[in-house]
Amino acid sequence: MNLNWLDAFLISGLFSVVVIIGLALLLHLQLGLTRIANFGVVGFFGIGMYSFGVLFTKVDWPFGDLPAFLVSLAFGTLVAGLSGLLVGWLIADLDEDGVLVGTLGFATVVFILATTEQDLTGGALGLGGLKFPYDVGTVKADEFLWLIIVIIVVTLIFLYVWWVHRTPYGRLLIATGANEPLARSLGKATFRTKLWLFAVGSAGMGMIGALFGVMERFLAPENLGIDVTLAAMVALVIGGTARAWGAVIGGFLIFGFFDIIVQSYIPFPKAWYGQAIPNAKLIVEGLVLMGVLLFRPLGILGAMRRDKLMRRVHG
Amino acid sequence: MVSEMQQATVTRPQIRVQNAVKSFSGRVVVDIDDLTLGDQPIEGLIGPNGAGKTTLMRMIMHSTPLDRGTITLFNANGGGDVVISNLPTHWMAPHGLVKSNQVIMDFDNLTILDSMLLAVSTAKYEQPHRIFDEKPLYDDNVERMHEYMEYFDLGDPMRIAGSAGEKKLLDIIRCLLLEPKFLMLDEPTAGLPEEITEKVVGLVRKLADEGTSVVIVEHDLNVIWNLCDDVHFMAEGSVVLRGSPEEIRQNSTVVEKYLGEGHV
Repeated sequence: MNLNWLDAFLISGLFSVVVIIGLALLLHLQLGLTRIANFGVVGFFGIGMYSFGVLFTKVDWPFGDLPAFLVSLAFGTLVAGLSGLLVGWLIADLDEDGVLVGTLGFATVVFILATTEQDLTGGALGLGGLKFPYDVGTVKADEFLWLIIVIIVVTLIFLYVWWVHRTPYGRLLIATGANEPLARSLGKATFRTKLWLFAVGSAGMGMIGALFGVMERFLAPENLGIDVTLAAMVALVIGGTARAWGAVIGGFLIFGFFDIIVQSYIPFPKAWYGQAIPNAKLIVEGLVLMGVLLFRPLGILGAMRRDKLMRRVHG
Repeated sequence: MVSEMQQATVTRPQIRVQNAVKSFSGRVVVDIDDLTLGDQPIEGLIGPNGAGKTTLMRMIMHSTPLDRGTITLFNANGGGDVVISNLPTHWMAPHGLVKSNQVIMDFDNLTILDSMLLAVSTAKYEQPHRIFDEKPLYDDNVERMHEYMEYFDLGDPMRIAGSAGEKKLLDIIRCLLLEPKFLMLDEPTAGLPEEITEKVVGLVRKLADEGTSVVIVEHDLNVIWNLCDDVHFMAEGSVVLRGSPEEIRQNSTVVEKYLGEGHV
């Protein structure tokens, strides 16, 4: 396959945008619908990535790469889901501040574990030995195929999240977020609802982490910085927390602009790409976030508009 | 005829509150030795502000936990007796016990239709993997919902309830859609226009005739005198008097503590 037309920066840029959108979509279910402000996104992302990576590289698999990859991916997803269940059980009945501190604390725990458990994770030196579960020729072709696979996964997540608004389950999530005592008085098991949503959402974040790890090929604690959480949060808030499209639009606007257009298409001097542009990116993200919160607090897409949705579904 | 009526009294759901105590920062708000609600189809609960009426109802729903005591629901959904003071709030509606709210409560973002669908929906529909259940849920319940919409002249249901009165009414409709066997109404007519109040009262009568036990807390005493078969008078955390509306409104203690001479 001739991929000369494709810029390597474009692949990595698009990949990071798609990963952020995937995380932001899962965050939309937790924060936008059920109003659980999960500030530990990177914790679940990271625990999935490392559980996957450790199992994949440390075990002497008796069978081929693809089954080994699938088993490890399932393991990473499961570990992230179980930690989501545990953290969710601890935070589900706390107020917003408690949820913030609890989830942020979990992300810190994961970061510290990745740094200190050197036998398993390689510590600050990192964990190498990850590879694509296939080989289609060049590295570029492998990466391109991986990008396509992750785009398909994130599209499926989007379709589910978009559709959930049109189901009784989605209505339950919105009601739980909007007025939990009232939902409870209508016979809704709100604690269980929040717990399972949190666990399943975290499992999804862990799976995305594992997919991200494959593309990185080398896992290091610096992948687990708060910037991952903030990227998902910023994308969602700018696009609109209450809308499924919010994650997509916010992700493309902010991260698409920097990671694709600035990286690949604007001929800044090479030296700028080391420090100046990443820092400028953080500054612009912060400014845009402040601007959006000041002038359009519900994000670009605005309020949920159940009235229009109901008319479309039952009209 | 007599045996039929006895039958009806036997199967009517009842709530028995025993040794129930609730205090807030040292002040005892509710202290009830033994109280049975639901002997009569419609019972009123009246008393001065701070008597503990709302707290008692919240204790029954377990949205306010008890300090101690036992509350039992007899003839719950399915016929059995359930000790509800051990159960979390979300188990009350499945057992047939439902309460409307004194303060205005609504889900922002959810339309009137959403609210009604939420009330009629059960856990069976609300699973993450049941992604094609919206239409069956709607189709199975659309007639029931339309009856209420037409009866109360709600207009377009695909909008968010606007006024306080509309939200209050929606709260009551949600309760009715749950098909309660034991219905508690906390100031149902406060903030409602008169013609809506009459419609609500009419529905409550109909429900009671069909076998639901109703308990009403209400400050509009005309509603109490006209609607209730029996009235409990509450003061300082316990029920001090019980009787027919006539007996209560002529009782000197009630007159002195609550009604004032003008109301006799």
